[in-house]
Amino acid sequence: MTRLDRQSFLGADSNAILETATIGIVGLGGGGSHVAQQAAHMGIGGYVNADPDVIEETNTNRLIGGTLADVAVSMPKVSIAERLIRGLHSKARIISVQVDWRDAADDLKRCDVIIGAVDGFKEREQLERFARRHLIPYIDIGMDVHDLGKKGFLVSGQVILSMPGAPCMRCCGFITDERLEQEANRYGAAGSRPQVVWSNGVLASTAVGLLTQVLTPWYQNPPKFVFLDYDGNKGTMTRNARMELLRDHVCPHHPPDETGDPMFDIRKQSFRPRPAAAPEPARRWWQRIWNRLSGRGET
Amino acid sequence: MGAVLESRARLAAVDADAAGASEGRGMNIRFKIMSTLLAAIRADLRRPHAFAHERVGFIAAGLAAAHDELLILARDYRPVRDEDYLRDQSVGAMISAEAIRGARQWAMNERVAIFHVHMHGGRGVPGFSGVDNRENARFVPNFVSVAPHAVHGAIVLSDTAAFGQVWLDRKSPQPFITRFAEVGMPIRNWRAA
Ligand SMILES: [Zn+2]
Repeated sequence: MTRLDRQSFLGADSNAILETATIGIVGLGGGGSHVAQQAAHMGIGGYVNADPDVIEETNTNRLIGGTLADVAVSMPKVSIAERLIRGLHSKARIISVQVDWRDAADDLKRCDVIIGAVDGFKEREQLERFARRHLIPYIDIGMDVHDLGKKGFLVSGQVILSMPGAPCMRCCGFITDERLEQEANRYGAAGSRPQVVWSNGVLASTAVGLLTQVLTPWYQNPPKFVFLDYDGNKGTMTRNARMELLRDHVCPHHPPDETGDPMFDIRKQSFRPRPAAAPEPARRWWQRIWNRLSGRGET
Repeated sequence: MGAVLESRARLAAVDADAAGASEGRGMNIRFKIMSTLLAAIRADLRRPHAFAHERVGFIAAGLAAAHDELLILARDYRPVRDEDYLRDQSVGAMISAEAIRGARQWAMNERVAIFHVHMHGGRGVPGFSGVDNRENARFVPNFVSVAPHAVHGAIVLSDTAAFGQVWLDRKSPQPFITRFAEVGMPIRNWRAA
């Protein structure tokens, strides 16, 4: 028996499909770190992991793979993800981009699927638009905690599969101008949003299930548009009513004539191979302490 | 690669020296199309015509670059109208100058890449026939001259896959499309050159 034999029901070629696939994970915090871990368990071969941040102590309640020792050396979240993936798939093709995902566009353009685990509606919408332009299926996860006053708190979230051509996050009413405006007005004032490991895990697992449906012929005709609501208090994941309502809906927000780069000119384009990512040098304990003491972080 | 590992046997003679990035300007070329659009194109090309032996059409695509990769991202398809086929026994289908003018106009007005498309049937990665190669070389430069900012080319479909060639300008060698991706549930990827 090989490592992946127990998932061979995903299809005769599923191991080869998963090995050759490249996924983009944008945001390697509470949600994205779960996705990276599960994708590595499943044998997905290629990763473009984008997150500009380093781990902080307040992340350790939920960042999968992150340790207190990583906090001590301000380890980049993408480095933690890379270590997590390599522990399960030593030959994985990993591109760690410790910058804003928009600065890693060339790497993300080549992904088969992009999974977004980011905060904020504006960033989600930009990520979805980027994915649509390049005919890349996009899976979005997000969680929230609402203060219900005397009734306590509601832990909630959603998972959305946004396939090119299918309804988008605007079609399903998840992203609206009002929400974008509210978010813009609150910008800078927002405190740290509550996050917990278990609900992130439910949402990320659901996203990995959808990722598997996009990549492998596991069952016939799965829905192309998925909008699932998570209620962490009831412990349920339910289909949002709009999933049925929008089944044959044609998205007006991302028309087909928006694919590609609008300014593209082959005569001005130089095609150069991606510079080989330098192997992460093993940092010695004294280097890490030196970096820490000198306030350099670990970039 | 991907869902279907297609046989390359039929292409051995064609792509022997195409070897991916070594051709053209050192680029890999990936053609992506939504499975619904591809299915609609196949259905259209299968319709019998009053006298032409096969049908042809045009795919418009957007373009993007990613490192050494050229991405051709299909947008839309237009069939050649029934009345634009000419009677000519020497080839499967001969289309009028008017049909070509229409496609050239499309390339210019919407700044799109235009790919001539027809179908051979069968399973696995198809290849161009001798006539296809000759016609493509005559035909595709029409688009290069009116829309030089884009690339243009030709694609042949089988029942399960596709194969294609790209004109980058009027002079450079014409590389083959390295990889195809059919974006649906599930995604299907195959290597064609
Ligand atoms: Zn929409």
